[in-house]
Amino acid sequence: MLKNDTSREMITVAETDLLQEIMNIAFGRAASDLAEFIDIFVILSVPQIRLLQAIDLPKYINMELKDYNTVSVVEQNFWGKFKGSAYLVFPAGSGRRMISLFDGGARFFDSEPTHEMEKETFLEVGNILIGACIGKIAELLGDVSTYSPPRVVVEKSNRGLVADNLFDPDSLAIVLKTVFEFNEKNVSGYLFIVTKQESFGWLKNALYKYLEQFE
Amino acid sequence: MIKKILIVDDSPISIKIIKSCIPKDQNYELFDAADGQIGVEKYKEVKPDLTFMDLTMPVMNGFQALEEIIKFDHKAMVIILTADVQIKAVAKAHELGAFSVLKKPPAKESIAAAIKEADVALSERG
Repeated sequence: MLKNDTSREMITVAETDLLQEIMNIAFGRAASDLAEFIDIFVILSVPQIRLLQAIDLPKYINMELKDYNTVSVVEQNFWGKFKGSAYLVFPAGSGRRMISLFDGGARFFDSEPTHEMEKETFLEVGNILIGACIGKIAELLGDVSTYSPPRVVVEKSNRGLVADNLFDPDSLAIVLKTVFEFNEKNVSGYLFIVTKQESFGWLKNALYKYLEQFE
Repeated sequence: MIKKILIVDDSPISIKIIKSCIPKDQNYELFDAADGQIGVEKYKEVKPDLTFMDLTMPVMNGFQALEEIIKFDHKAMVIILTADVQIKAVAKAHELGAFSVLKKPPAKESIAAAIKEADVALSERG
């Protein structure tokens, strides 16, 4: 059982709704960037926002991915006033289907080991989707982000995707989740953006400032 | 002439933002709907002169809702207002009969210009 009820007052329904809309805009822009880079159509879904105690975060992510034994993950940390970690997760087998996005369906890289090709593919897709999405959220809220180099893990167990010690267990985390599909490749994936409690104060102010421009 | 405007969006805050971008001086009658299915029902009920439609929505997405509305009223004036600005998404919206596509977040100027453009197109139709 997740313990998020205790922290509900930290973020209001209106703030959650606005954050969801901002995530929607940001991921839409990220998908558009990806579609310009490779010939693909990304089917988007309505993003979801959850406020969790950090201690419940690994459990939450495990539950979300319970249908998959192994997954491939691109993980990237970001810093700014909005800071945290992003996890782009694909179910096992997605990499092989995605490789053709970059070689145009031709087998140019037959000599390379598939594992390396999958890693490169995830790295490219992750770089674009995470960078564009975080960048757009930061831009809309008047911030600028810097990033760690992405870390790619291909076909690992879905357990322990998020380290238990990522955050102080007593702190809170906001999880922004969106599920997407690459239409032509029959590939679906998840993007989790986890931001730390220390960003909350700034985030609340930034959301109100964002709304002010429409008053 | 545009009098009634329907806004179809699953985000209450987004509806509020869009309403704030619509010029007040024309006293448009505004209606809203929280997903595509409710949007189609609302369209049939109020027969708006102009509809702003989101694409990514639960229950029925904007593409499906647009298709249903055009089936019901082939002259429907629907402006897609979306975060999904992929070339293929924009092309599909036009194919299905959207009047135009605007990207989110909306700007007051672009909403006002889109309404004006729709108004001109409506009066040209007679």
